[in-house]
Amino acid sequence: MDAKPFGLVFFPAFDWAISPTHPEREERLLYTRDQIVEEGLLDIPGIREYKPRLALAKDAERVHIGVPDISSLITDAHLVSAGGAITAAEAVMAREVTRAFALVRPPGHHAMRVVHGTRGFCTINIEAVMVEYLRQHHGIGRVAIVDTDVHHGDGTQDIYYYDPDTLFISFHQDGRTLYPGSGFTDEAGSPKALGTTINLPLPPGTTDEGLHYVLDNLILPVLEDFRPDIIINSAGQDNHYSDPLANMAITAQGYARLAEKLKADVAVLEGGYSIEDALPYVNTGIILAMAGLDYSKVIEPDIARAPRGESEASRGYIRQLVAQQHALWRDRARLSREAVAKAGDFWQRRRGIYYDDSGINEHQTEVLRLCPACQGYLTVATEAEGHHFGAKSAFAACLPRQACPQCRREGRDAVVAAKKTGKYQHYFIQDREQDRLERL
Amino acid sequence: MLLGIDVGGTFTDAVVIDAGEVIAQAKAPTTHRDLLSGVLAAMDQALDGVDVGRLQRVALSTTIVTNAVVEGKTDRVALLLLPGPGMDITALVPEKPYLLAGYIDHRGRETAPPQEAEVEAACREMKEAAVFAVVGKFAVRNPLHEVTVAQWVRRFAAPDYITTGAAVSGALNFWRRANSAYYNSAVWRPFGRFAAAINQAMTERGVLAPVYVLKADGGTMPLAAAAMRPVEAVFTGPAASVLGIMALSTPEGEAVSLDIGGTSTDIALWRDGIPLFAERGARIAGYPTAVRSFWLHSVGVGGDSYVRREKGQLVVGPMRQGPAMAAGGPAPTVTDAMIVAGLADFGDKALALEAMRQVAVEGQTPEEAAQSVLAEATDIIFTAIGAMIDERAAEPVYRVEDIVRGSRPVPQAVIGVGGAAVGLAPLVAQRLGVSCTVPARAMVANAIGAAVARPTLEVTLRADTAQGYYTIAEMGYRASLPTKRLTLDDARDLATRHLTERAAQAGIPVTAVEMTYAEEFNLVRGFSTIGKIMTCRLQIKPGVFSPIAGKGGA
Repeated sequence: MDAKPFGLVFFPAFDWAISPTHPEREERLLYTRDQIVEEGLLDIPGIREYKPRLALAKDAERVHIGVPDISSLITDAHLVSAGGAITAAEAVMAREVTRAFALVRPPGHHAMRVVHGTRGFCTINIEAVMVEYLRQHHGIGRVAIVDTDVHHGDGTQDIYYYDPDTLFISFHQDGRTLYPGSGFTDEAGSPKALGTTINLPLPPGTTDEGLHYVLDNLILPVLEDFRPDIIINSAGQDNHYSDPLANMAITAQGYARLAEKLKADVAVLEGGYSIEDALPYVNTGIILAMAGLDYSKVIEPDIARAPRGESEASRGYIRQLVAQQHALWRDRARLSREAVAKAGDFWQRRRGIYYDDSGINEHQTEVLRLCPACQGYLTVATEAEGHHFGAKSAFAACLPRQACPQCRREGRDAVVAAKKTGKYQHYFIQDREQDRLERL
Repeated sequence: MLLGIDVGGTFTDAVVIDAGEVIAQAKAPTTHRDLLSGVLAAMDQALDGVDVGRLQRVALSTTIVTNAVVEGKTDRVALLLLPGPGMDITALVPEKPYLLAGYIDHRGRETAPPQEAEVEAACREMKEAAVFAVVGKFAVRNPLHEVTVAQWVRRFAAPDYITTGAAVSGALNFWRRANSAYYNSAVWRPFGRFAAAINQAMTERGVLAPVYVLKADGGTMPLAAAAMRPVEAVFTGPAASVLGIMALSTPEGEAVSLDIGGTSTDIALWRDGIPLFAERGARIAGYPTAVRSFWLHSVGVGGDSYVRREKGQLVVGPMRQGPAMAAGGPAPTVTDAMIVAGLADFGDKALALEAMRQVAVEGQTPEEAAQSVLAEATDIIFTAIGAMIDERAAEPVYRVEDIVRGSRPVPQAVIGVGGAAVGLAPLVAQRLGVSCTVPARAMVANAIGAAVARPTLEVTLRADTAQGYYTIAEMGYRASLPTKRLTLDDARDLATRHLTERAAQAGIPVTAVEMTYAEEFNLVRGFSTIGKIMTCRLQIKPGVFSPIAGKGGA
């Protein structure tokens, strides 16, 4: 047996649910627990199980600006799942294991930088909390996050949209046919980080063949090219053919082979709601593949239901998509220069963000300074309406790592100036250099 | 009146207990080639002058199963597995298995039936095997396939014995059940021969009291029941010691017990008078099994541990060169240090002083050297206790509440038994900053433990109200639920009924029953609750019949 040590943080949160009948309920990982315990996976010499630590509010605030504050928006379960991701990464950093999988809930990839509540079942972005923890405590620089959930990882994209050191690749069911309705190819990063956000919207019904075409011909070569210090996999499992919330046709074998090829240092569970027919098998497959063990016998009992073979139309579309994104990747330096030149000193976007779980509508205006010396400071003006609280608002400046003195000063001044107007209820400075979230 | 016999590595001890007091004890060398003669020698000596008609029970802690495994005197087992989809365990079990078709999923639903022709072919190929084991994945959720395949095997191969996986454990873990079932069949015939010989010897001596065998989990089972599940009689020595502690003292709250013998110390952690269990099961010949056992760590320090200097560094154990120099041994030992320090009083003190002189550094008196030796020995045990506490605290839990609350044991007391406990246990307690007890009769704690250990038995009930049925894995039982609106209390009552029935079959009296595990989940499909899944495990509580009076010297 190949006894390559592999770390598993399993945390099914058997006492936590968004609501009793919500897809994110106690039962979600019950059958996965059944399968991995029944298989004896936790007794294999090459697999080491870890107990998740409890992340701190400070770990979350390194990434998020919670309005009015992050602690009032989350439960202990969120700190355990973020802590589980950190535990997995720490085991890898300490070289106790070669790679690790945080099989935890609740998920996080729809949680954006500013948090008013819960959207897409997510409140804090557990991968981003982990990544920023690693940057703070282990001096990690370049990070690649590959989001293999069926839904676009819009939260992770939002957090890293301005960061050229974080490559974010998401494949997902086309946003025209599925929540959250984003993740199109033209969402490619801010001018200075153009190309380090790669979206791969796939047609409903995509099978293992189509997925592995994208992996082999785009994702793996791009990763090779980017040379990250660490590869993170947002390992959602809802591309499975039996998932009730989506329409894709990936199998447990398809997912396991993906995990084997991707060689992520840390995988973190995201979605996946076919709790009986998919999750037990997909998780077993991913665990075996990441541990370097034989997964060839992990086949769903109802595999006959799985659609076979990619349709010609879908095959053609995927080839074209890969070619297009590959061209963009190769050309990203030039495109970035052009975008910077076109934008001038500041780059701005206005967005509406909907929190489906909390029933909140948020309006956001972000302004990014295109600084020649650093990543540039960002200001975010946010207003949210929800039936629980009426309205709340905040103005924040985010000072990135290695911010130049001018950006540090101007970012702070922007918040002070906003506070003088009295237009908002809360004022924040998120200072990554000093590692703190300051309230004014 | 109770008779307890413990077969140890060196000696076989026997004690007779009457009204909570040890009225006779005896010791005979353990006869490894023929365990029975040592057992009978100790027993005959202890029973000398005792009215055997008054014996109510004979209980035996024996190494027969462990020895059979260690010495390779086990039978070849035809191992039939129904693995379904998942990890391939072909290379992870003690014998190359036959993989059969047929699958039961996590909800206990059949997704593919077993094939009779396949079983017939396997039986033909393994026709020289006297014993079989049949183990199916998720058979604890539905024993149908295991039961069916076992019937076919009986028809095609008519072996002496067939072990089914769910019968050896009702807990999830196919791999462990496969190993357990394998070893249960592998030791079935050696154990059977031993049991028959014991029965005959008892009859010859006019002992009519029922004979019980100690299990690794500290319970006992009647010899007849043990003959069906002999694998549970593996590693009973440490279990006997733990039970002896239970009989001799009542550790309250969190405690640590030390059985300090000649070359090793067995450490157990206790909570509210009960030792902690190894959650998943014991390891046999390196294979993880589902055999429940106490959670013990062994470190290589005891009274006879060899003490020397290596490159100037004081080293204690783990090897033994012989007895203490004070007792005529060839080299310094921990016991010599205890004698010099005034913690033990036997043998030739002059020789003990000479031993300490040999390990003293320049300018150190023998007394100071003895203190260094004891500090070193104490440190090894203290460090091992710390590691156990860390391991316990790091054990994964699956509920938010359990993570937030934490679960780090903080021992409040030390209980020491075994030959060297009087000297070392108080020093370990001092390091921990807690109190220490070394009960009287600590030297024969194992035999006492065997004598007074209560019978135990468990059942695991799993109910699925959406499917409308429940199973009792250990009994191979599956039936319709009496009601769709089952509560956990109902499930517990139902399990109690089956436990009582199973106990009656095994000839075990039902005393205190406890629920050792319970979980309950709502089944939600399409945004409405369609039922519940419940699991509860009940056991007849392990423990002792009566505490033993601490009269008499240790």
